Amino acid sequence: MADADELLQVWSSLAPPERETWASARPGPPLDAVAARLSSVPRSFLDDDVSIAALSGDIAGVACASAAYAEDARVRRGAAIGLWLLASEELVEPFAPPLAGPWALRAVDSLALRVAPVVDPLDWLADDERREEAARTFLLWAGFVPAGEDRETARALWQARDSLRRSSALAEAYAAYEHREEIARRLAEARAKEAAARYSSE
Amino acid sequence: MSDPDGLLLGAGGEPEPAAVPDPDDPLALGEYRPGSAAVLTDAERWPTLDAEAAARLHRWRTHPAAPTWVHATGDRLTAEAVERTRRPLPLEGWLDDHLAIARRLPFYRGRAGLATLADFPPIGRADLVADVSAFVPLDADLDRLLHGTSSGSTGAALVIPDDVEEVARGFHLLVDLARRAGVEWTPDAERLALVWVLQQRQAFTYVSLISGFAHRAMARVNLDRRAWGVASDRSRFLAEADPQVISGNPTSLAELLSDDLRGVLRPLALFSGAMALSGPLRAELEAAFACPVIDVYGLHETRPIAARTDDGPFRVLDRRVLVEILDAEGRPVPEGTMGEIVVTAGENPLLPLVRYRTGDVGRLVRLADGGMGIADFEGREHTEFVTGSGVRVPSVDLTQQLQSHGALGWSVVQGASGAVAATVVGGEAERIREALERLLDQPVEVTRVERLIDLGEGKPRRFRSAVIA
Repeated sequence: MADADELLQVWSSLAPPERETWASARPGPPLDAVAARLSSVPRSFLDDDVSIAALSGDIAGVACASAAYAEDARVRRGAAIGLWLLASEELVEPFAPPLAGPWALRAVDSLALRVAPVVDPLDWLADDERREEAARTFLLWAGFVPAGEDRETARALWQARDSLRRSSALAEAYAAYEHREEIARRLAEARAKEAAARYSSE
Repeated sequence: MSDPDGLLLGAGGEPEPAAVPDPDDPLALGEYRPGSAAVLTDAERWPTLDAEAAARLHRWRTHPAAPTWVHATGDRLTAEAVERTRRPLPLEGWLDDHLAIARRLPFYRGRAGLATLADFPPIGRADLVADVSAFVPLDADLDRLLHGTSSGSTGAALVIPDDVEEVARGFHLLVDLARRAGVEWTPDAERLALVWVLQQRQAFTYVSLISGFAHRAMARVNLDRRAWGVASDRSRFLAEADPQVISGNPTSLAELLSDDLRGVLRPLALFSGAMALSGPLRAELEAAFACPVIDVYGLHETRPIAARTDDGPFRVLDRRVLVEILDAEGRPVPEGTMGEIVVTAGENPLLPLVRYRTGDVGRLVRLADGGMGIADFEGREHTEFVTGSGVRVPSVDLTQQLQSHGALGWSVVQGASGAVAATVVGGEAERIREALERLLDQPVEVTRVERLIDLGEGKPRRFRSAVIA
């Protein structure tokens, strides 16, 4: 089993900064509808033998990034639940607006690599608050704010539920990983721009 | 690189971003193509630019004897930043604040017991290469971040987050050092405030304006003959620019002693950096130009650390810098004992360093006025190689080729016969061999090794030449 630290590092390397994700989020489906759908995940999705790469291929046409870490039971279950949300639009009924879009698999990965390492996905099914956390996280990384909420409210409510923030050691590690990605991005941007004039050899 | 027709310049004299490399120069490095890295407008480069300053800029960019400017860049200072950068950062209590910031850096996460400076483990270049972000405060103002690089003496290129205001403050530090050497350096009509000279195959060259110095112009100029349209342009341009101050490294400053330059320059002061300045060269420069030669010791990572105007000890600068001398095990040595120079550096808010090992060696001494000095300084060797036809080539030219072909570290040795043996870590060995053979016109053998440590422990010399003693 990979440790939470390692999985969070993988997530921070593939996810855009939270701030930017909030800035581009648009109104999405109601939170309750997503949470209810999440809790109705079929047992077959949670089977230990399920191949996340194959499941993701069937549902989205391509393997999600977390498939590479699916030997970890938490990652596997988290990804499976995310993939269920996507599959359910065909099997049950589409959300309004539909989840399918450019960030659908990123949302699956957010459940598998950001939430699951901190809170076991089985708890999402058993505990209302953890289920809400998973649903809010999924919507955010799919590019949505829950229907009826503005960005500020949605952000505050998500942060209040965010288990990662409440685990100080993991939160620090995650902040460092996010920071590393942000610095790398800023340095690359600055390099593309141009430096400033300098005055002497060093 | 040459462009005798000036066709690569835009209407305002700024380099054109779409300029193509010189097809006749197989050693041309992409980023040194004219304008390849210039993307801002002049209004963004100098937010306080006025008509008079713009005219000054235009004049030097389009001067008929000017070299082909490879780059365009400014100081990026708003009016408020211009004022802020005139003043040095306050020193009272800086070390305590600095250590408090350092304790919150990702690098020290999970480390307890960092109560005083002595509790911090020494860090080195390898730590920055591994993850420089771990040394950037989480709450740093990243809108002020600039991309800096340092080739360093161990070869592995290092990307450094520079701070736009700290870089600008560096100019005022030079003014202050000149004042301490008895030189009042203030804007003087249309003289260039500063010319930073280089002597290498390819270089970023540009004209800039110094917003905090009455928008006087400065230029970064490559003295290499290939950088000029016709040979006489070099002395003509520098004579008309009449720079008040000239900075460079010992190699480029030595070039100022050439017959075509020494008679046309009348600097108030010279600044030397990056490599050790020998006593005889200092003496020759002082005699030729009748001005102080200020040798500044510093690393890009730490910013300037110490300076001297004679061949005695370097004086540790009166700024946010603290120098210790440590032994091989990282323990402080008694004052006056030789050891590694380790620096705690607090001038760059984007890279606050605590106990950074420089790889340079010296001993700490108390100066007559109570200040701290670094005596018997060693390090920053520079080497020249010799081509098949007897022309000297500075090691920085080899560095450019090695890095452009992906080498992470290297040791290049030229034997007495002129043959060159290069040991490289990473990179494309065959491409490196071809590039060095083309550059030096000597037989070159390249051997790949796997790890930097395979080049030797500590700070191994990157270059040696038995041809030049």
